Amino acid sequence: MSAIIVDNISKKFRIPHEKKNTVFQNIVGLIKRQFDYEEFWALKDVSFEVNKGEALGIIGRNGSGKSTLLKILARVLYSDSGSVALDGKVASFLELGVGFQPELTAKENVYIYSSILGLRRKQVDRIYDDIFDFAELKKFETMKLKNFSSGMTLRLAFATAIHANPDTFLIDEVFAVGDEAFKKKCRDKMSQFKAEGKTIVFVSHALDTVKALCQRSMLLNEGRIVTMGDTEKVINDYLALLQGK
Amino acid sequence: MWQYRELIRTLTVVDLKNRYQNTSLGFFWSLLSPLLLALVLYFIFRHLFGSEENFAINLLVGIMAWRFFSIATSASLGAIVGKPSLVTKVYIPRQILVLSTALANLISSLLEFIVLLPILFVLLGYLPVTVLLFPLIHIIYFWFIFGAGLLLSSLFVYFRDLNQIWEVLISVLFFCSPIIYPLSIIPAHLMFYYLLNPVTLFIGMYRDVMVAGDLPSLYSIAVVIGFAIAAYLVGSFVFSKLQRRFAEEI
Repeated sequence: MSAIIVDNISKKFRIPHEKKNTVFQNIVGLIKRQFDYEEFWALKDVSFEVNKGEALGIIGRNGSGKSTLLKILARVLYSDSGSVALDGKVASFLELGVGFQPELTAKENVYIYSSILGLRRKQVDRIYDDIFDFAELKKFETMKLKNFSSGMTLRLAFATAIHANPDTFLIDEVFAVGDEAFKKKCRDKMSQFKAEGKTIVFVSHALDTVKALCQRSMLLNEGRIVTMGDTEKVINDYLALLQGK
Repeated sequence: MWQYRELIRTLTVVDLKNRYQNTSLGFFWSLLSPLLLALVLYFIFRHLFGSEENFAINLLVGIMAWRFFSIATSASLGAIVGKPSLVTKVYIPRQILVLSTALANLISSLLEFIVLLPILFVLLGYLPVTVLLFPLIHIIYFWFIFGAGLLLSSLFVYFRDLNQIWEVLISVLFFCSPIIYPLSIIPAHLMFYYLLNPVTLFIGMYRDVMVAGDLPSLYSIAVVIGFAIAAYLVGSFVFSKLQRRFAEEI
């Protein structure tokens, strides 16, 4: 059963030579008949499916369209053509700790972040202790977030995010969180989610993490899928691509 | 959107806290400006319009009703642009950002009108029963403002000088609404165009129910509901079209 079906999507960005973002500039532009922007295809005719309970890795060079693809899956960006279908509740980790307020306490921030992830207060009450246990921050729950170290903030955000209990995870390079022990804990949690039948799409430059988590991967280059299949093989293709073939 | 009611509540509270600098006195400071404005306008214009019935009270009610529109629409301009991380980093229905701004302004406006009630009572000597209709008018007005907010906030993402344009329009609209002067000074042949300004109708209805003790006509209620529905439909339509590129433009 497919959890994600991506059918022939393309995404075009407009890169204006001169950015017009006022009414005045637009009127001037209309009079002068200037519509000077370059079109840049960030994604071109991309189709694939991800099965339920599968972890798919996406690798590629900078600017290959990985993050654009993930953002389209996350419904932050919209594709210009083609369609995307996602099954169940989706949690996207394009960035951790969106909406965190430094002036509020860790406790209050967990509630705010959870509400952004679509949880209600009562639901948060139930997972509250698990979040702080996982983040190992129980002692600091009443401390203001501005006094947290960046590692602590990220741990809190990650712990909150994974306890929101989504069916599909979209993850963009957020494993660089905390020390080795915490990273291992996160990887274990991800493996556990996979075993529970949750779907994971994982964008990363950390090839060994991709290898450990995903059986199947996709190599993107200049907005197109180069290869898709067994992670081992895709990584070899990627390395070959990096060396200029 | 209902699934995100917790987020709507949180964003509204944060908005209000920021506005009143986390102090309960903050609200009373914010009352100073409309009351002073009313006082100044009263002393300047009482020679011209002072003979009108209830001039001072109508002025106060008009200013309070006007404030809801002008402050809420101006604040809604930044509703999307002011929260970039909630647009580019995570999926939420983006109407929530505009709705929470409008709700925060609704609450401020309600507080202002509540303060107005004892002042009305002192100046009039009584409160008309029709004041009970106030919530109904306020809800229609709120819906109209929310619709305008959807339109303005989504356009502002693409046109960043809209705030300056809107500031000018707002001050023109202030003088095109019967706040300082009575409706009776408008020449009859211009009346039709004058009444195209929705704020005029709303101000008239507030004065009907809060001061004069009249029931607003069914016709005028139907017209303002029409305005509110139109603003909401146009606002939602434009917003849903434009929001597709928000994450790129912000």
